[in-house]
Amino acid sequence: MFEWLTNPLYWTWIFQGLTLTVEITLFGVCLGLLLGTLLSIGDIYGGRTARGLIAIYVEFFRGSPLFIQIFIAVYTVPALLHLQMDHYLLAFLVFGLNSAGYQKGYVKGAMQTILDDQMAAGMSVGMSRWQTLRHVIIPQAYRIVIPSWTNEFCSLTKSTSALAFVGLFDLTSAGLSIKGITYQVLPVWMVIGAIYFVWITGVSKLMDVIYERKKIPGVELDLQS
Amino acid sequence: MDVWQQLFNLLEGVPLTLSISIISFLVGIALGLPLAFTRIYEKEISFAVDLYEKIFRGIPEIVLMLLFFFGLGTFFPLPFGSAFFVACFVLGLRSGANQSQIYRGAIRGVGDEQMIAGQSIGLSKWRSIWHIMVPQVFTFSTPGLGSEYALLIKDSAYVYVLSGLLEITTRANQIRQSTGDFITPYIFGALIYIAITFPIAYSLDRWGNRRKKKIGL
Repeated sequence: MFEWLTNPLYWTWIFQGLTLTVEITLFGVCLGLLLGTLLSIGDIYGGRTARGLIAIYVEFFRGSPLFIQIFIAVYTVPALLHLQMDHYLLAFLVFGLNSAGYQKGYVKGAMQTILDDQMAAGMSVGMSRWQTLRHVIIPQAYRIVIPSWTNEFCSLTKSTSALAFVGLFDLTSAGLSIKGITYQVLPVWMVIGAIYFVWITGVSKLMDVIYERKKIPGVELDLQS
Repeated sequence: MDVWQQLFNLLEGVPLTLSISIISFLVGIALGLPLAFTRIYEKEISFAVDLYEKIFRGIPEIVLMLLFFFGLGTFFPLPFGSAFFVACFVLGLRSGANQSQIYRGAIRGVGDEQMIAGQSIGLSKWRSIWHIMVPQVFTFSTPGLGSEYALLIKDSAYVYVLSGLLEITTRANQIRQSTGDFITPYIFGALIYIAITFPIAYSLDRWGNRRKKKIGL
């Protein structure tokens, strides 16, 4: 059943697939955090038009499955633009844009728990609105948002397994390839599942430790909403 | 196939998407409530609940579906050979793990005093949970449950990998393969999902707020 585990070729595939899974997730959550922060600032201080556009953006990326968004990125976008585009690049982008839709909500929630008082405090010592955001609000918001960010990391990593079905070589693709040769369906998926599990659980454990050290005592974001 | 035929073809997938997500949601309630109360009130076995939650947080739904359908399905054609069963099974178990976390937050929100009050008038632990805590916990968790149900609708798209269930995503791919149209099926598909998820989250949120006001929370 598990003899195939001794074949180094399969481990090369697994490692190659895991690399793409990890890269795309990390890129996705980081781009998502950056864009999500910009979107939440826009949502708090923007005018009606900006807020409306942000709401449409968020509703599109949160309201439809990431699976469909991946199909749109890989098939529809190049067809609309009449261009040959790199599927890997498109996949990286769609993960970042999708994550931004979710992280906008988290960052905005975190900013709003501290915004009013501290913005007034910042402006009262002569800082501009932007300086207060940049030096006071956002650093604290990022400390509050760590648990939601960890959740986002977990769900984004799980979603990467959809990439196997648009022909990109992620960890699930590696599993499909190994299964195609060895026909050991159950053992292969158990091993692949275990690798995902160890990676996701390990990183979220690490993030929990970081959160415990970095959290602001007494300020917690309600994860429910 | 013109654009309208494509749209109607996709819309025929809506009942399947809805039934998968509703059944998974109900399975999730049936698992999530006991798990959450066990986690809080039965300290000795709470590690098992923790492990369960971690497993479904850490393994992709697609991998689980492939494991149960193509892996176990060959050994146990019933029930794991049925794509519909596997879809509801995996998504329901996953939802149970998520809902357990949602209810746990709500139980903390309702507070321990009510459990003590219930037990002080002679109700057993599980009776006070069922008659006093559960009704309030539901009201408290409506925003979380709304997004959880929307998440199930979105995750039902993964059923595509089982390639036998003609829900929205599978139909969109079939249309792309048969017509060579790379644009409209996916755009329509995404819009249909948005049209389904948007009202649910919105109305459940409002219902929850009204209920909370009514019972004075």
